[in-house]
Amino acid sequence: MLSFRNISALYIFVVMFAVFSLWVPDTFLQWDTWKALLSSQAVTAILAIGLVVALSAGAFDLAVGAELGFGAIIAAWFLVDRGLPIVPAIALTLLAGALVGLANGLLIVKARIDSFIATLGMSSILLALIAWISSSQQILGISEGFQKIGSTEILGLTLPVYLMLAVGLVAWYVLERTPLGRRVYATGGNIEAARLAGVRVGLVVTGSLIACGAIAAFAGMLVTANLAAGDPTIGPAYLLPAFSAAFLGSTQFRGGRFNVWGTIVAVIVLATGVKGLQLAGAPTWIPDLFNGTALLLAVGLAKFEATAARTSALRRMLRFDRGSGAGGEAAQPRPNSTVANGGRK
Amino acid sequence: MADSLLKIRRLSKTFPGLKALDDVSLTVGRGEILALVGQNGSGKSTLVKILAGVHHADPGSEVDLAEVEGSQVGLHFIHQDLGLVGTLSTIENLDLDQRLGRRALMPAPLRAEQERAEGLIADFGGHFDVRAPIDTLPAAARSIVAIARALDGWDHPNNVLVLDEPTASLHGDEVGKLFVAVRRAAERGAGVIFISHRLDEVVELADRVACLRDGRLIADVARGGYDHDDLVRLIAGEILATDTGIANRDTGEPVMSARGIQGPTIGSLDLDLHAGEILGISGVLGSGREEVAPILFGAAVGNVSTLEVGGVGIGRLDPRRAIAIGVAYLPGDRHRQGAVMRMSARENMTLPRLRPLRRFLGRLDQRQEKREVMRWIEQIAVRPDDPERALELFSGGNQQKVLLAKWLRNEPKVLLLDEPTQGVDVGAKAGIYALIANAAAAGAGVLVCSSDAKELALICDRVLVMRDGKVVAEMRRSELSEASLVSAGLGRAGPDNGGGSAANESGVTSNV
Repeated sequence: MLSFRNISALYIFVVMFAVFSLWVPDTFLQWDTWKALLSSQAVTAILAIGLVVALSAGAFDLAVGAELGFGAIIAAWFLVDRGLPIVPAIALTLLAGALVGLANGLLIVKARIDSFIATLGMSSILLALIAWISSSQQILGISEGFQKIGSTEILGLTLPVYLMLAVGLVAWYVLERTPLGRRVYATGGNIEAARLAGVRVGLVVTGSLIACGAIAAFAGMLVTANLAAGDPTIGPAYLLPAFSAAFLGSTQFRGGRFNVWGTIVAVIVLATGVKGLQLAGAPTWIPDLFNGTALLLAVGLAKFEATAARTSALRRMLRFDRGSGAGGEAAQPRPNSTVANGGRK
Repeated sequence: MADSLLKIRRLSKTFPGLKALDDVSLTVGRGEILALVGQNGSGKSTLVKILAGVHHADPGSEVDLAEVEGSQVGLHFIHQDLGLVGTLSTIENLDLDQRLGRRALMPAPLRAEQERAEGLIADFGGHFDVRAPIDTLPAAARSIVAIARALDGWDHPNNVLVLDEPTASLHGDEVGKLFVAVRRAAERGAGVIFISHRLDEVVELADRVACLRDGRLIADVARGGYDHDDLVRLIAGEILATDTGIANRDTGEPVMSARGIQGPTIGSLDLDLHAGEILGISGVLGSGREEVAPILFGAAVGNVSTLEVGGVGIGRLDPRRAIAIGVAYLPGDRHRQGAVMRMSARENMTLPRLRPLRRFLGRLDQRQEKREVMRWIEQIAVRPDDPERALELFSGGNQQKVLLAKWLRNEPKVLLLDEPTQGVDVGAKAGIYALIANAAAAGAGVLVCSSDAKELALICDRVLVMRDGKVVAEMRRSELSEASLVSAGLGRAGPDNGGGSAANESGVTSNV
């Protein structure tokens, strides 16, 4: 469990922390730096958690970026253009996000369009909707009360950080502690086997995308609160960080399974790297390079480890069988001494 | 024409716990069609895989491809799925580029290509539109394309063509077309290894027949030295050495009655499964055997006109409803349908029935779950006994035990099993049979669809034998033997012991 392969991101974090602490101690070791980092990354993390829900069910939601942008704009539109109070505006924004997720789900389950294509198409449609609602202009005039959602501080951290933890806690509980979560992972693992085990896979996929859509809209709402404006251009930039975090996160803690805490850790590790490089004066294109490289490395290494684990397990199994032929059933399939002796008897 | 193109000497192959091939020697001569026959698990596919380089033979084995005129003989494989790209045309599938001396980016000389392709398929007796996508062609035409592709473009005629069950998906008249193509290939000097379960074809086509049983070559006979019945006897073996260990049991009321089961191959099939009964379904590949269980479970396309489970009439089943009323289905394809390989043994085992483990706020009681799974793992002797290990890291036999336990945990009334011991080593087989027998003893009706006649003869109370989508024979425990099942499945009269009830050409549907 504590092997390097399962918590490599934590080791990487420690190394990066040490390097930047020595390199740019004046800025990197400031509490304000970390507060800002956590605050700004809370949105990315929430979005990535939504994505984890969809990915766990086996659906690639390439529209998460646009869903976030849509949530940001529609929240601003409800608040400013429709003049709704805060609570109904929040509820309606979440509902809109859920409806987008439902549309994704129906396209995939009912129309049988591959999730990649369905969400790619949906992404483009959402960008059009965003431009239509906002006339491609920022929606200004967000009320003070709504802005507080982004800026209220509790115990030195802003509210979005706590909201991230809350969303994470709920998603973790459902995915890892309930029968429903088990069915979500089974559907993502082998949809046909899940179906034959009586899982309503259509419902699971659709439900996961609805949850993903609602969570993405929620993240978008926080962006609007942070910026004090509905910005029609922000969505797509969140897509890659969310995917990087979800995939890097899948290599952590749970041995190749998409999971919530691994994803949150991945978001923070990636952000720390980027922040450190920025503070050290790296050029502006460094974050893109860093995120892309991290994604490729994370997925590449996970694939490599999976293959290696399978090969070595197979080798052990074969040796075990041969050993048991000569030495009896007792030998446990451990890689070293017992089995080798069993074989030589 | 007697010079040999391929020589196999003392070929053996040992898998852990299984001798798949034992001292097999064979030669294939120029222009010769050698038929390779034998039951499932007799070693045919292992032999093909060794030739193809998928497996390595044991030390001491020799596989020699003759050198003729300074160049080595080419080996070509045509597997059942043919390996063609369905959306491309014949021309594109033949991949003529290099033969026409063209570079990758040069424009295609369409006319020349088309003529060349038409010429090639005409060589093998084919006349059809070479521009049509492969998917739109009849099955026989597709096989011809595959043969033409395998043999085209070699600058010498010294080739050995291996056809693995090429007729399994062909209709009667199409088989004839394929045979013309195979004979043309042989006339042009190629050696052919032809693997088939359909003995009529073998008798018609082959110059020589080699028969494998339990990994050993038990006959290598030239044409004229055998007839259909001889082959049945060779394949099935004449010994009735099936010490059952499963006594004749009294079976109870029907737990499942189905009338008019219809599927892609199955015409109309009725069956009754009784409480405590192990009912087998036997038949060669393509007989419809493999369609019965998934249709009953609602996992595959098909139809059942009336279905009763436990005496209650039900409309069409889907997997969810089937599980709810006590039907369980273990698919033949573990990797694709049976299991979520990357999830742990524990998670796989409890997936169909998580409700009893659900607690307050929808929490899954994992402690209770672990206890329950651990009990099963001890009971069914899974090795290693680690429920948290990903299923893909267990051996085939242990995977299958876990999956069987997954269904037994539901205490099913009806247990539908497809190839329950496929990819399972000999040791684990006995364990799986014991689990099946226990389930039946506990009152479940068990349906076992299997290509392994020996297995059915060993564990079943009753077996329905299928051929061409129909039940052609029904055998009770006293009449069951590997030989009687095989001969009934292959058609015609069986060997002496299976005689009376085995072959019923008229295709009577069983109705008990």
